[in-house]
Amino acid sequence: MSISFHSPAVRTTNDGVVRRRAVGHDMDLDDGLEGAAESAMKDPTLHVVTPGELITSDTAFMRGHGTYIEQEKVLSSVAGVVDRVNKLISVRPLHTRYTGEIGDVVVGRITEVAQKRWKVDLNARLDGILMLSSVNLPGGVQRRKQESDELQMRTFFMEGDLVVAEVQNFFADGAYSIHTRSLKYGKLRNGSFISVSPGLVQRSKSHFHSLSCGVDVILGLNGYIWVSAHVSQDLEEIDTEQVYSNKNKEDITPADRESIARIANCIRALAQNFVFINATIISFAYEASLQYPLKDMHKKEVMRDIAVEATTAVDNMRG
Amino acid sequence: MPGLISPAERDYILKGIECNIRADGRQRADYREVTLETGVISQTSGSARVRIAGGTDVLVSVKAEIGPVQVDPETGDGADKGQIVCSVECAPSASQQFEGRGADDLNNELTQMMTRFLSNSTSNPSVSSTASAGAGGINLSKLCIIPGQQCWILFVDALVLDYGGNLVDAVFMGARAAIYDTRIPKTEVQDLGDGQFEFEVLDDAEDTEFVEGRENMPICVTLNKIGARHIVDASPLEELCTEARLVVAVNRSGELCGQQKGHDGGIEPSLLLEMIQFGKTTGQTLIKQLDARLQEEADADLAKRQRGEPVHKLGFFAQ
Repeated sequence: MSISFHSPAVRTTNDGVVRRRAVGHDMDLDDGLEGAAESAMKDPTLHVVTPGELITSDTAFMRGHGTYIEQEKVLSSVAGVVDRVNKLISVRPLHTRYTGEIGDVVVGRITEVAQKRWKVDLNARLDGILMLSSVNLPGGVQRRKQESDELQMRTFFMEGDLVVAEVQNFFADGAYSIHTRSLKYGKLRNGSFISVSPGLVQRSKSHFHSLSCGVDVILGLNGYIWVSAHVSQDLEEIDTEQVYSNKNKEDITPADRESIARIANCIRALAQNFVFINATIISFAYEASLQYPLKDMHKKEVMRDIAVEATTAVDNMRG
Repeated sequence: MPGLISPAERDYILKGIECNIRADGRQRADYREVTLETGVISQTSGSARVRIAGGTDVLVSVKAEIGPVQVDPETGDGADKGQIVCSVECAPSASQQFEGRGADDLNNELTQMMTRFLSNSTSNPSVSSTASAGAGGINLSKLCIIPGQQCWILFVDALVLDYGGNLVDAVFMGARAAIYDTRIPKTEVQDLGDGQFEFEVLDDAEDTEFVEGRENMPICVTLNKIGARHIVDASPLEELCTEARLVVAVNRSGELCGQQKGHDGGIEPSLLLEMIQFGKTTGQTLIKQLDARLQEEADADLAKRQRGEPVHKLGFFAQ
C-alpha cells in the first residue's frame, strides 16, 4: 500500500510551464482599465477578473461575452481573463462548458433513450441529441429505418454508453445534434475515459490518433477524451455488426493496460498544468513520463515535471 | 457527471483490477496523493481541508460551544460527559448528483456514520459495547464542565466541496485533522455551596487545551469489492463498478472501531475477514502518516509563532 500526505503549495505563474494562451494582443486599455494594477499577476498581458469585478468605466467600450453593464460600467459576469478586440471587451471564463461548431469530433455519454433519439452528455450547456436517423444501423449503411429499430434502440446505445460522434447541426434552443454516420464513429470500447476542460483540447486536422506505444486516443473537442487499446481500423470495417457490441477485445495485455494508464495520466498531467492537448504533446509527455513509475504519476510534482518536459520538448522541436 | 457507466468501461475496470493495474495506473492498495492543511478557518476551534488528487475536496470544522449535558432518561448516563455532534453536507456544486435533494441520502448516511464512529455515548448501546476500544476515542468526560449541568459540545461539521471518489475516507481524515487542530478554552469552576456552581471561561488564547484522546480517534478505510478483489480509494468510475462496499473504522493501535457495509452486493465470509484485516493494517499505516503530517504542520506553526512571525494559512488560494 502507498499513500502520501502533502501540505498545499502556492500556485505560481512562473513555474516553468509555458502557458500557450490565445491572448496575443497587448492589453492597452489605457486608463479606462481599473483593477489591472491591483491584480497581482506578474504577467502584464493578463487581466484576471472575478464575477462582478469592474473591467472598465469608459463608456466607449462595448460589452461582449462574459460581461454585463451596470450604471454604464462594464463588469465581468464570470471569473476569467479579459479579452479585447478593438472596442469590444469580453471575458474568457476559466471554467466553462463546451461550445461547439459543426464538424467537431466529440465524445459523449448516453444519458437517456427517448422517442427516436438518444440524449447525450457532451459537457455542453444542454444535452446533445443523437437521432435514430443519424446512426448507421447494422446490416448496411443504406438500410431504411423501421419501426422495429425504434423498439430496439437500447440494443444500439444504452444509458451510460460512451460514443464518439460529430456535431452535425444546432437546434433552435442551442442543443447539438450529433451523428455517427461513419465507421470511425460509434460506441467506445477497450479503454478508459478522462474528462478535461474543453478549452484545453486543441482543434486539429484529426482527433483520432494511434500513438506509437500501441494506444489509441480520441480527443473529443468537448474535453472528453477516450484512451484505448489499439484496434486495427481494417478489422472494424469488415465487421459492421460489431459497431454496437459491448464486449471488449479479449487480448488486452497488462502491458497494454499500463500504456493506456500512462497515456491517461499524461493527459491528466497536461490538463492539470493548463497545457494545450494534442497528439504531439501527448507523445512527448509519454516519453517524459517513462522515467517515473506508473504509480507515482498521480503525484502533483511528477505531473508538473511531465508537463514542463513535454512543453519544452515541443518548443525545441519547433525551434 | 451523472452516475452512469458503460458495460465496456465496467469490464475494462474489472479486468484491470483483476490484474492489479487500475485505470489510473495505481495498484489495488494504492491511495492517491492527499493534500492536507489544518487551521484554515479562523472562526472555528479547529479546522482542516483535505483534498485527494483527482477531485475530492472536504472542509471540516470543529466548533466548541457550551451547552447543557444530555442525560439518558433510562440509564442516567451522560451526566458527566460532553458531546460530539456531527454533520456532513455535500455541496450541490460538488457533483451533478448532489443537486436538489440528490445529496440528502448521502448526507444522512455520512452524518450517521460519523456520529456512530466518533461519539462513545451513542443512543444505541450495542455499538459501543461491540467496539472494545471505546469507539470514538475522545475522552468525553474531559469535556464536562459542571457534572449534571454544563459541558462542551463539539460540533464537527464536514462540507464536501468537490467529489472525486472516496468521500468517506476523506471526511474522516478531515475530522481527525480538525479535532487534532482543535483547542478548547480552559474553564475555572467555583463552588458556591448548596450544590451551586459557577464557571468562567478563560479567554486567554494561550490558556487552551487539546481534545483529550484525539490520538485515539478512528479513521475509515473504505474497501470496494469489485469482482473477486477489493480496492481502496476508488475513483468515481470505480465506485460505480463496486458490488459491495465495506467501511472499516480503525484507531491508532489497529483496533476495529466500527464498520458499515454499503451497496447491494454480497461479501463472502472468508473475503470479509480478509477485508477487515486488510482495512486494519491499512488504517494503521494511514493514521501513522496522517499524524506525522499533522505533527509536522503543528511544529512548523509553533516554530513560527515562537519566532514571532505570523502564521499564514494558504486556505483556498492553494494548489
